[in-house]
Amino acid sequence: MPISEAHAGRSYPPTPTYEVSALKIAEFAAALGDENPAYYGDAPVAPPTFVGVVAAAAWESMFTDPELGLELRRIVHGDQRFTYHRPLRAGDRVTATLTIDKVRVRGGAEIISSEVDVHDETGELTCTAAATLVHTREAA
Amino acid sequence: MSLASPQTEHVEVGQTLPPLTVRFTRATLVRYAGASGDFNPIHFSDHFATELGLPGVIAHGMLTMGSALRVVTDWIGDPARIRSYSVRFSNPVAVPDNADGVEVSYSATVTTVESNVVSIAIEAICDRKKVLGAARAEVDLEA
Repeated sequence: MPISEAHAGRSYPPTPTYEVSALKIAEFAAALGDENPAYYGDAPVAPPTFVGVVAAAAWESMFTDPELGLELRRIVHGDQRFTYHRPLRAGDRVTATLTIDKVRVRGGAEIISSEVDVHDETGELTCTAAATLVHTREAA
Repeated sequence: MSLASPQTEHVEVGQTLPPLTVRFTRATLVRYAGASGDFNPIHFSDHFATELGLPGVIAHGMLTMGSALRVVTDWIGDPARIRSYSVRFSNPVAVPDNADGVEVSYSATVTTVESNVVSIAIEAICDRKKVLGAARAEVDLEA
């Protein structure tokens, strides 16, 4: 059974706790070629798009959901919107929770609108990552 | 650490930010894959990429998105001032398997100023095509 409009509203349990580390922040900033001093040292903040790393674990719950029949290599990112309540910092322990907002099927393309909420261990919402993902289904 | 920030009273609609040009090679993509954990093979395998109708290996959209925001964070200094950031991935950034890779150029313009909050439109060009659409960041200069 492939993904369909009927999967709107489906949500997944929070991901296992992800601990943001100074080392991972530095690695990520370096991969962006970004030398902003805020990302280095003992108490760095994470680059704003680092939230994508945390959200990816939640996307994974959806990509591997057998009921949706999605294939990672057939998924492209249509758009991405981040809303920040506070930056992620080294030492934060966060979880990501994904909800499928909407599914549209256009020919062989399945257009999935999803929202991932990232909470810290006190339950505070730190940021939201909303994405449109386009899955191209292989012709039967 | 010096993170000098522009003062709200000196920011005007239409003002342009210092532009930035970056270069992506296959090594950049491998590095981003490892740092982000995004191992979609279209970002390292021509075989999988062309099978899906792509011109070849393409950059992670999130790499382009993250790299483009540097135009804004280089300007505001403290990245904690970013309130929101959104983009549409309008064209893939094809990254050839050679020493030169590909150049992506970013520019940005202030579109609104409302008390401390400044909206900035970002443009990302690769091979004369816009690779990001409707790219927009909101920053709080007093945060």
